[in-house]
Amino acid sequence: MTAPYRLLAPQERVRYWRGYAERAVPAVVTLVLVAAMTVPVFVTVPVIPHLGLLGVLIWANFQPGLMPPWLAFVIGVVADVLFGLPLGVNATLLPVMVIGVRLIGARLVASRFGDHSYISDWLFATLVIGVFTLAEWALLSIAGTSGPFAPLAVQAGTTILAYPAVVGLIARVQRRLQALG
Amino acid sequence: MDWPPTRRTSYARREQNLALIGAVVTGAVLATGLLLLILSRVTPIYSLRLRTAAIDVVAPFWTTIRGPFDVLGSGVDGVGDYIGTVPRARQLAIENAALRRALQDHDALAAENRSLHRLVRVVEPHLGLVAVARFAGASSGSYARTAMVSAGNRDGVFAGQTVRADVGLVGRTVEAGSHAARILLLTDPNSRVPVLVVRTGQPALAVGAAGRLLEVRDRLGAEVPLLVGDRLVTSGAGGLFAPQIPVATVVDAREPPRARPEADPVAIDFVAIYRAYLPVPEVPAAVATVPVPREARKK
Repeated sequence: MTAPYRLLAPQERVRYWRGYAERAVPAVVTLVLVAAMTVPVFVTVPVIPHLGLLGVLIWANFQPGLMPPWLAFVIGVVADVLFGLPLGVNATLLPVMVIGVRLIGARLVASRFGDHSYISDWLFATLVIGVFTLAEWALLSIAGTSGPFAPLAVQAGTTILAYPAVVGLIARVQRRLQALG
Repeated sequence: MDWPPTRRTSYARREQNLALIGAVVTGAVLATGLLLLILSRVTPIYSLRLRTAAIDVVAPFWTTIRGPFDVLGSGVDGVGDYIGTVPRARQLAIENAALRRALQDHDALAAENRSLHRLVRVVEPHLGLVAVARFAGASSGSYARTAMVSAGNRDGVFAGQTVRADVGLVGRTVEAGSHAARILLLTDPNSRVPVLVVRTGQPALAVGAAGRLLEVRDRLGAEVPLLVGDRLVTSGAGGLFAPQIPVATVVDAREPPRARPEADPVAIDFVAIYRAYLPVPEVPAAVATVPVPREARKK
């Protein structure tokens, strides 16, 4: 346990607050990704990839301590509210995904491919995105907004294709954090 | 066997307690998510404040970001305008002459229409323009087809108003924050617009289908088939959309008929928001049933 705050030197205090800021980076980055999904580009087929899902998935895979389930719940609430979906669809599925990734992700991937490799992570993300889309369709029909599965399937495809871009962005953020801290 | 029994070190117990608390918090989070889901099926309105606050936060971001892109776009358009100007100008002059002649006919028809309305004493509600705004956000992620505009309560925009562009109907406002509002586009599954088929005069309902085309349902006189190219305009039924606003054009006449909306949000810059055609009438408060003595009545 470190010294009490009042005994810390000024640069130690800066380090203390910087620690909180660094821990908040995954949350902020994922919220920015969710807000970026509301870009006013009008397409008839929903080709906007689910960047919030990718952000939560990637952070939960690589930094499970920095993406706890309650944070995924908050991000899910923000996503539901911004996209006009019934409140609770993303808010339930994102924490479930975080818990699933924590419990079975490491075992599933490490047993087959060794440690994290790019392709194994991408395949794992494909699997998780597919299950997420099916569950989202089920929850949407529970919440009363039922419809065809095709638009969600197109969004799942775009999300899988957008995985490299998002993973590159998050890796750059991660390296920047490690270089600074 | 150890005696006295050794206590677990405090660090291990602390970790166990933290893990237990983490599990409880996770369970609570999941339960809250499921509860929200079930509540949103039962009462979909309770999160209105949260939604309007979120729209207010996100919309100004896109309005600011659009600035440089719009300048670039208009600059590119400006350069393109100089190419092929002379033939275009000649053609525009020919079209202009034809349109002026049509305009004279139109003025005559409008005058005749007005005099006939006065003769028959038709009461037309006044179309009130509330605000003109640009798109500042969209949610084309999955089923919900909504857009955000940068006009809200402080510009007079409230929920339940008509949104149209110059080519046709765009949708209606469903939520309005203080400086941004959310529009339900025609292609959203929750969007239902009462329409009339112009050629046959049949009333129908144009329902969004989460795709590119609208479905034309509940058509009165469904045995009369529609033709490709039939135009649908609002009928004014329901009191929200004013009549005679172009909505869609039929592209597939097989049952159920599908129509392509006239207004494509991709190609639209500005939208105009109008008040509801027939706003809900103000019902006067119930008059007291106890008779008022003559002396107490106001003169």
